[in-house]
Amino acid sequence: MINFSQVSLVYPTSTKTILEDLSFEIAEGEMVLVIGSTGTGKSSLLRLINGLVPHHTGGILAGDISVDGISTRLVRPGELSHLVGIVGQNPAQGFVTDIVEEELAFGMEALNIAPELMRKRVEEILDLLALTHLRDRTISTLSGGEQQRVAIGSALVMNPKVLVLDEPTSALDPIAAEEVLSILHRLVHDLSLTVVIAEHRLERVIGFADRIIHIAGDGSAEINLPEEILKRSEIAPPIVHLARALGLSQVGLSVRDVRRMTEDIRSAGKDAEIIKQKLGEVTIAAKNLNLSYQGKPALRNVTTTIYTGEIVALMGRNGAGKSSLLTSLVGLNKDAKGSSQISGIDSAELKGKVRREIVGFIPQEPSDLLYGQSVAGECAQADKDNECAPGTALALLERIVPAIDSNTHPRDLSEGQRLALALAIVLSAQPQVLILDEPTRGLDYQSKALLITLLKSFAKELNRSVLIATHDVELVAELCDRVIFLSEGEVVADGPTLEILLSSPAFAPQVAKVMSPRPWLTVSDVMKAVTQ
Amino acid sequence: MTLNTSDIYKFSASSKIALTLTSVFALAGFTWPFFAPDKQSAHIAQYFFWVALPFAFFLLLAQLSDRSLDAKSVALLGMIAALLAALRPLGAGAIGLEPMWFLLILAARVFGGAFGFLLGVLGMFASALFTGGIGPWLSYQLFAAGIIGLLAGSFAKKLRGWGEIALLILISVFSALSYGLLMDLQFWPWALGANTQLSFIPGGALSENLHRFITFHFLSSMAWDIPRAVLTTVLVVSTGPAVLAALRRTKNKAAFLTPIEFSERLK
Repeated sequence: MINFSQVSLVYPTSTKTILEDLSFEIAEGEMVLVIGSTGTGKSSLLRLINGLVPHHTGGILAGDISVDGISTRLVRPGELSHLVGIVGQNPAQGFVTDIVEEELAFGMEALNIAPELMRKRVEEILDLLALTHLRDRTISTLSGGEQQRVAIGSALVMNPKVLVLDEPTSALDPIAAEEVLSILHRLVHDLSLTVVIAEHRLERVIGFADRIIHIAGDGSAEINLPEEILKRSEIAPPIVHLARALGLSQVGLSVRDVRRMTEDIRSAGKDAEIIKQKLGEVTIAAKNLNLSYQGKPALRNVTTTIYTGEIVALMGRNGAGKSSLLTSLVGLNKDAKGSSQISGIDSAELKGKVRREIVGFIPQEPSDLLYGQSVAGECAQADKDNECAPGTALALLERIVPAIDSNTHPRDLSEGQRLALALAIVLSAQPQVLILDEPTRGLDYQSKALLITLLKSFAKELNRSVLIATHDVELVAELCDRVIFLSEGEVVADGPTLEILLSSPAFAPQVAKVMSPRPWLTVSDVMKAVTQ
Repeated sequence: MTLNTSDIYKFSASSKIALTLTSVFALAGFTWPFFAPDKQSAHIAQYFFWVALPFAFFLLLAQLSDRSLDAKSVALLGMIAALLAALRPLGAGAIGLEPMWFLLILAARVFGGAFGFLLGVLGMFASALFTGGIGPWLSYQLFAAGIIGLLAGSFAKKLRGWGEIALLILISVFSALSYGLLMDLQFWPWALGANTQLSFIPGGALSENLHRFITFHFLSSMAWDIPRAVLTTVLVVSTGPAVLAALRRTKNKAAFLTPIEFSERLK
């Protein structure tokens, strides 16, 4: 279906070869996963398939790419639109209309398809993606998973033979991600759709992939079966790291496989003693927080306390009220009722420099904090605001991610670099509390590991508090001491990470699923238990 | 085989001819009151231009958009025009305070005159739909806005820094004042009624009508054009550097005219 023969790609603005001499063939009905660190050219590879690269972006393309026998060099991307459907990372950015049904019809409208046929196809897609009950809903009121399904639907409605998805689950909670992926899996198996998908969170997709393309970053790439690639690749889900650490002869890709191989370890290992952490001083104290949007309650009587030296995760499904709680806690939500104090001061009263020294808040989209024209300008502004010595923020940034060109526009940075910049700015004020909303969205494993080290040292060495709202169970397992679980705006569980994560199968990390019923969450937990 | 990605919208040779012809026609549409020989022909001219100008304009737009408007230009055009349409009613239209002009001028400056012309027309049209400002005056307004866009995007394209801001101030003042002049010109013959001291005298002497018009324009421009010029200038100076930088970055990102090359092997 898709044929790359000796493909190389260079952009005219840079000297770096993005892809070099890449040849592979993807058969009809295959699901291929593209992996690689940020900035290695995953998105370029995906956009080569429908000709957006180089027709839309410019660039030098050597070799030939053909989709269903049509060479992309000969036709414009528009002429491939019936053949290749593409779904972006953030579905909300791609929507054109307001209503689900209209959004599905929009692409066909542009292709001048007869109304009767349009009607029929919209019905089919609504059924296929289980969207029938949402057909008249306004898209902006849908949850993340539902939005992603609508985005997939509006690509599928043109009856493409190939579906290309760029990180389709990065903004979704584990349950919604599962929902989207199982629909893709069904499309591949029932309709023999060819799917190419790029994703950072391998633990979610690995079970569905037939083959993997691993882009190394130096231009070379390898395509092979998942087992073969993951044997050596640095980028691997926790379950593979577990198999490697235990020295298993094979890497298993599903929880079931690895469970079978590790029976003796589960029975032999010793549980580590649970060390009760001494609680520090209270930093955040929230009492009876209530919030409603147009009569719909978003927070109901939330009361919680966070102590110094603690890293707390705030979890829950999309729309459970996580972001609302964070903004209410830091006093940015004017409609919130109840009291929220940080370091003994009402958070709504915090202003200017005092505020920056008490609480650092990084919203879901870090670029909301960034207004400068360049990284250097942004850092200089932070130094001035926080009355630090010039260069403090930039030096901090250099420590978090080395080698960012300080003349880059903040919005041109990669997701991970942008988060690092926001972190550097916020941390240069040395706040008592650091609050992050979904920090790992779009981060690769490497940046995630870096973030974990950084936050750990911030909380433990400086004895400060960190509060993170996240869907990323693996991050929580590695990093957090305590989990607060929200549902429909209410705190439904609050306790040590171990307890909370093990009690819910959907939110349990991969390693815990393998090692159940033993209470080990991460690879290092298992190794500790084995070597004791 | 060497190609480029598509260019930002530019006029073709035939578009330039069509634009010139329509401009001459529109100029006649603005200035007929001074040349109408008698009452009856003034009457006919008024109705003729009310009907004919929209048609001429429609033909021009059909010619301008015949080709060379690629997806990226359309997307840019649509987005900035929507912003213009949203900005216009913000000043409530009172005493000429329409905060759309600064963005039109800045966008035209970055994306060029041809793009600016289409942007002015489209933004004005969209805002007329929003505000219910549809009437015989609309095609005059569209044309004037288009010309302002064309003007703003056609000078000293290499100029940067304070020189650029100074140029933009000149353009802002000039276009705010001339927009007012043109609008008065189409407004004056019919809106004032026949009996005031400043009213248009159909078939009157050129000098008499000119005198009456200039007095009328002076009075109205005190109220409308000068505040408009001041507001536009203030907005251009205060937001100019940031908005220009953002628009230029958009232009870079859109990769207009970036070379595309296909080859058998990488050199």
